[in-house]
Amino acid sequence: MTDTDQERDRNKETAFYKFTQQTLPACKPVLTPAWVITIFLFTGCIFIPVGLVTLRASRSVVEIVDRYDAECVPEPFRIDKVSYVQDDSIPKNCSRFLKVHKYMKAPIYIYYQLDNYYQNHRRYVKSRSDQQLLHGRKYHGTSSCQPVEFNNDHAIVPCGLVAWSLFNDTFKFIRERAELKVNRKNIAWKSDRDHKFGKKVYPYNFQNGTLIGGGKLNPRIPLSDQEDLIVWMRISALPSFRKLYGRIEEDLDVDDVVVVHLMNNYNTYSFSGKKKLVLSTSSWLGGKNDFLGLAYVFVGSSSLILALVFMLLHLRYRR
Amino acid sequence: MKRYVYINDDESLQELYCDNQISNRKYTVLNFLPKNLWEQFSRFMNQYFLLIACLQLWSLITPVNPASTWGPLIFIFAVSASKEAWDDYNRYLSDKKANEKEVWVVRQGIKKHVQAQDIHVGNIVWLRENDEVPCDLVLIGTSDPQGLCYVETAALDGETDLKTRVIPSACMGIDFELLHKIKGVIECPNPDKDIRRFDANLRLFPPFIDNDVCPLTIKNTILQSCYLRNTEWACGVAVYTGNETKLGMSRGIPEPKLTAMDAMIDKLTGAIFVFQIVVVMVLGIAGNVWKDTEARKQWYVLYPYEGPWYELLVIPLRFELLCSIMIPISIKVSLDLVKSLYAKFIDWDNEMIDQETGIPSHAANTAISEDLGQVEYILTDKTGTLTENRMIFRRCCISGIFYGNESGDALKDVELLNAVAGSSPDVVRFLTVMAICNTVIPVKSKTGAILYKAQSQDEDALVNAAARLHVVYVNKNANILEIRFNGSVIQYEVLETLEFTSDRKRMSVVVKDCQNGKIILLSKGADEAILPYAYAGQQTRTFIEAVEQYAQLGLRTLCLAWRELKEDEYQEWSLMFKEASSTLVDREWRIAEVCQRLEHDFEILGVTAIEDRLQDGVPETIETLRKAGINFWMLTGDKQNTAIQIALSCNFISPEPKGQLLLIDGKTEDEVCRSLERVLLTMRITSSEPKDVAFVVDGWALEIALKHYRKAFTELAILSRTAICCRVTPSQKAQLVELLKSCDYRTLAIGDGGNDVRMIQQADIGVGISGREGLQAARAADYSIGKFRFLKRLILVHGRYSYNRTAFLSQYSFYKSLVICFIQIFFSFISGVSGTSLFNSVSLMAYNVFYTSVPVLVSVLDKDLSEGTIMQHPKILFYCQAGRLLNPSTFAGWFGRSLFHAIVVFVITIHAYAYEKSEMEELSMVALSGCIWLQAFVVALETNSFTILQHLAIWGNLVAFYVINWIFSAVPSSGMYTIMFRLCRQPSYWITMFLIVAAGMGPVLALKYFRYTYRPSKINTLQQAERMGGPILSLGNIEPQPRSVEKEVSPLSITQPKNRNPVYEPLLSDSPNTTRRSFGSGTPFDFFQSQSRLSSSYSRNCKDN
Repeated sequence: MTDTDQERDRNKETAFYKFTQQTLPACKPVLTPAWVITIFLFTGCIFIPVGLVTLRASRSVVEIVDRYDAECVPEPFRIDKVSYVQDDSIPKNCSRFLKVHKYMKAPIYIYYQLDNYYQNHRRYVKSRSDQQLLHGRKYHGTSSCQPVEFNNDHAIVPCGLVAWSLFNDTFKFIRERAELKVNRKNIAWKSDRDHKFGKKVYPYNFQNGTLIGGGKLNPRIPLSDQEDLIVWMRISALPSFRKLYGRIEEDLDVDDVVVVHLMNNYNTYSFSGKKKLVLSTSSWLGGKNDFLGLAYVFVGSSSLILALVFMLLHLRYRR
Repeated sequence: MKRYVYINDDESLQELYCDNQISNRKYTVLNFLPKNLWEQFSRFMNQYFLLIACLQLWSLITPVNPASTWGPLIFIFAVSASKEAWDDYNRYLSDKKANEKEVWVVRQGIKKHVQAQDIHVGNIVWLRENDEVPCDLVLIGTSDPQGLCYVETAALDGETDLKTRVIPSACMGIDFELLHKIKGVIECPNPDKDIRRFDANLRLFPPFIDNDVCPLTIKNTILQSCYLRNTEWACGVAVYTGNETKLGMSRGIPEPKLTAMDAMIDKLTGAIFVFQIVVVMVLGIAGNVWKDTEARKQWYVLYPYEGPWYELLVIPLRFELLCSIMIPISIKVSLDLVKSLYAKFIDWDNEMIDQETGIPSHAANTAISEDLGQVEYILTDKTGTLTENRMIFRRCCISGIFYGNESGDALKDVELLNAVAGSSPDVVRFLTVMAICNTVIPVKSKTGAILYKAQSQDEDALVNAAARLHVVYVNKNANILEIRFNGSVIQYEVLETLEFTSDRKRMSVVVKDCQNGKIILLSKGADEAILPYAYAGQQTRTFIEAVEQYAQLGLRTLCLAWRELKEDEYQEWSLMFKEASSTLVDREWRIAEVCQRLEHDFEILGVTAIEDRLQDGVPETIETLRKAGINFWMLTGDKQNTAIQIALSCNFISPEPKGQLLLIDGKTEDEVCRSLERVLLTMRITSSEPKDVAFVVDGWALEIALKHYRKAFTELAILSRTAICCRVTPSQKAQLVELLKSCDYRTLAIGDGGNDVRMIQQADIGVGISGREGLQAARAADYSIGKFRFLKRLILVHGRYSYNRTAFLSQYSFYKSLVICFIQIFFSFISGVSGTSLFNSVSLMAYNVFYTSVPVLVSVLDKDLSEGTIMQHPKILFYCQAGRLLNPSTFAGWFGRSLFHAIVVFVITIHAYAYEKSEMEELSMVALSGCIWLQAFVVALETNSFTILQHLAIWGNLVAFYVINWIFSAVPSSGMYTIMFRLCRQPSYWITMFLIVAAGMGPVLALKYFRYTYRPSKINTLQQAERMGGPILSLGNIEPQPRSVEKEVSPLSITQPKNRNPVYEPLLSDSPNTTRRSFGSGTPFDFFQSQSRLSSSYSRNCKDN
């Protein structure tokens, strides 16, 4: 009996015993006014400066946005833009003049922006075959690619709606009659080029059918080097998105005028989507986006106000 | 429909009937899978999940990989199935133990040791003392010359007294050796479950008496699972074996009990399901409209103009699948898991180990711990539950002289000792009755000390007391009893034993004094069964007074009496008795009638008073639990006065003027009806006064009330917080439980004996006390504890914590599923209402099963208040009883919180990750990590006490989330290759996370703090007091006036013995008038009101949180 008692005493020290007795040492925080007010004050004091820094970063980004879809349709075709854009016989050339209002330091990112374009539509998202992109025609389980899986009983590489609807407007940038150096390499993720798109997979039977979607691919270039396709195939989660087109590797000075020669091939007219060209520098935070900064300032100041209110309440109803 | 059993016939019967293999198993190896699956799928939740999982196989509509549902589903099924399999395996093992027990069976005329499962119908089975009966047997021989044997039938009917069984007349006097060779046929009905009937015939073949068919009754059988007691050996013919025995036929699997919380969770699940259907329909219609108007224009989606016939259904079904996570698949598993942990905590609890016996508490039913926290009514047995069931002879009254009144112990009363020493004839006669008027069997141990084997504790106490007073019952040899008194041995021959029945309420023996040949009738029994039968001239006043006085002290009284019989009177009666004993119809009634003819004209010798001490801590426990708002009903087989006195001494009811007892009695319907109505009226009138009113009802009146005035009685039951029901039978106890249950009260029944088993099984929660009356109650119960006082801890600590924890866990489970689901719904609005899933399959599955389940599981360690605080302020249990922590309004709070958090996460994510950052995988991981961060902080905020495990689980989980996702991000073939690395390198990701946390938790924290400080619930107040060390100021205001504990109960009742009054219980009040004005559910009412005010603020509190 005494033995077991001693044993029990010894057991009492172990963590497991305390666990079984639900007597593990616990810290029981209390929502005291001091703590809560401190937390809110602290949050406010951290969030407002961080917000301001973030806002500054966002504001330091210089951005030129030019919507060109409407303007680039010649006057006579404006009544029926869809048939204009679908008619291959009409040249789609268009020129835009962008005025630089602030000094832009290289690299300047060129994005095309599509609005009201549902890349995240379920039918669209599913209609691709990652395995085929990597392994090519050897891979046959491409049923997910429907309805763009086969054409004339031959597999399409790359299959699926996503690839089929590839964006195919092109841009050329000219400043003072000299073409700007635009780097179109390395616009896609390296991981995608190395591991997601096959180095020996070449486009096959692509855009050959009666229904022509978007851009065509050079069948002699492997998919891993078709960077526009790779960028396009990184689906956007939002109906309004920008995708990288290239980088201008020269600085742009204030009042420079950049002439953009573009081919307005891509049909956004049937669903009244917008097309925009965006030239933007970058900060440590990315592109121009005031949201985070503003939200931080808002949350920070709300915290301060709450802290103040609680402080007043505490003084008023001191117990 | 008959079965012919050929005794000792080795060949013919083997194939005809099943062997004696007992099987309690639900499954066999072959049918386990289909049967188990069928059972699991009979539950709504599982059907729902299966439907979802099957729909997901249709790739056209599934938003995610089917594995995300199939995986958890299979896991859940595997867990439940293996639990079932484990239980069944244990049943198999216990069956196996019973089946492989060795028994003596006659085979080919020789006694052989065989396994119990090899017994066949017709075999002769030999049993020795204390053997368990392996199958249903018809007795053919015993060691007793008169062919008697004793069996304990507790496992069968719960009755603990020994029953006598007798061999059929045809087998009387068959020699021991010849029993091996006996041949014959028993004609018996096919197996049924009636344990009180066995209508069969026996015919023995030559060379045994073969002429007559001998009728058999249940008296001639010993049934499976009984124990042979006080009989050296017995043998019988197996008639029913295996699962065809009476026990086997009546064996049923008890209905699984469902807690109030489970019911609430089911209800909420149903509500969520309806909500889900609505959402699905709205989104489905919106999706179809969008598809027809917008999607046709989106040329890149290539919608076909002609769809299949089911096209309209596709989008709604997609949303159904998308929203299916609203009902968290993990909730059942989590709940099962934490529930078994609650049960383990009860098993482990060191403070609930009975120090005397070292028996720990045990939770046999692991599924109903939360109900403990919601108990509203406790129905308790008295003897052995409130009291120790250790009977001690305390006082007696012999021919008008009271012994033991001064010292409280008659054994130390000098006067009595002197009287014994002086061989005062009255005293000696009294002691003789004490010593031999019983069915006790003395056993000499090896040391020479005499041990008594008694069926009832009372008899044991009496015999022992007689021995202490030098009248020692030494030996029983066949019919000869030996008593040693003052050195001389007196022998008595027992002629008849008139057994105790609960109808007669007395037992007698007829003995012959071997010295002088006088025949004497010795009787003992309840006062009302003895005193009215005194001989004409005897004054019984003093005895009545003695009984009253003792009863008011809470002592159990027995009256002892005797009468000398004339030789011819006895002979005449003996014939009648024999005849009555052998009747086949209404035998018990006939015997009772015959006994009545002998038991009259008693000379009353005196009254004994036996004390059954209250267990330690009973008054405190009852007081605490009543403060916690639990109503107590005492259901006892004991007599009214004793019950009332025990009730007074353990704070069950308060004495006048605080308390009041109303009595319902009457022998006829009218009387009962009138008295019931009067009591009800008083109850209604006085319900505003702060008084404790209790009603007392006896078994007879209760029977009538339940049968004819059920409505009125139900109303009474609702009005009355306390009730004492005396003289009730086991089935009435169960009926009362049912009555309260039908009024939607959560009932807890606590008892210790076989007679409580039915009540324990009937109640929402059955608690058994593993006491001196054996373990049947404990075995039948959901919880077994060693002492009544552990009930306090069981309810207030374990029940309350379990309730709180489950309330949090279940609502949190819904919350986290809803958060992710709302985000999916919001996302569908910016994805063309097409049913795209923002999250990938792996994340969704891991979110539900892993990321959010692990931290919340450690909430089983959470304690909102320390145990000491709860014990000091038991009122806080109201929050559990009234279901304040889990009800539609608190759930609405969590629902709102999930909506708010979903909005925060979604809005911040799509704005912070707009334009060039809007890549799908990245955005989805940002949203997911936002949810995970919020989850961590929500759990942290809702945790009241952090142990190391909580910190590990909450923050460790957050770390684990990143580690797991980094691992996934490192696999090139996975969809999220490099995503998490990219995100973690971006400052904007971390900035977004902190923004989500601050924006999501800020308002929640602010509201919680505001409630906590300026609109505190009682729990908050106690928390503050407990943790700041300050005094508890405001809690006292809402408490009803604390009942003062009345300690001076017994002196009061001794000095003022009172007369019985037909309606109003006189013990507490002098006149009916005083009783009429009183009553007091006013206190509880006030309390409820203040509580309800409180509750509304509290539920708002929860909502806001």
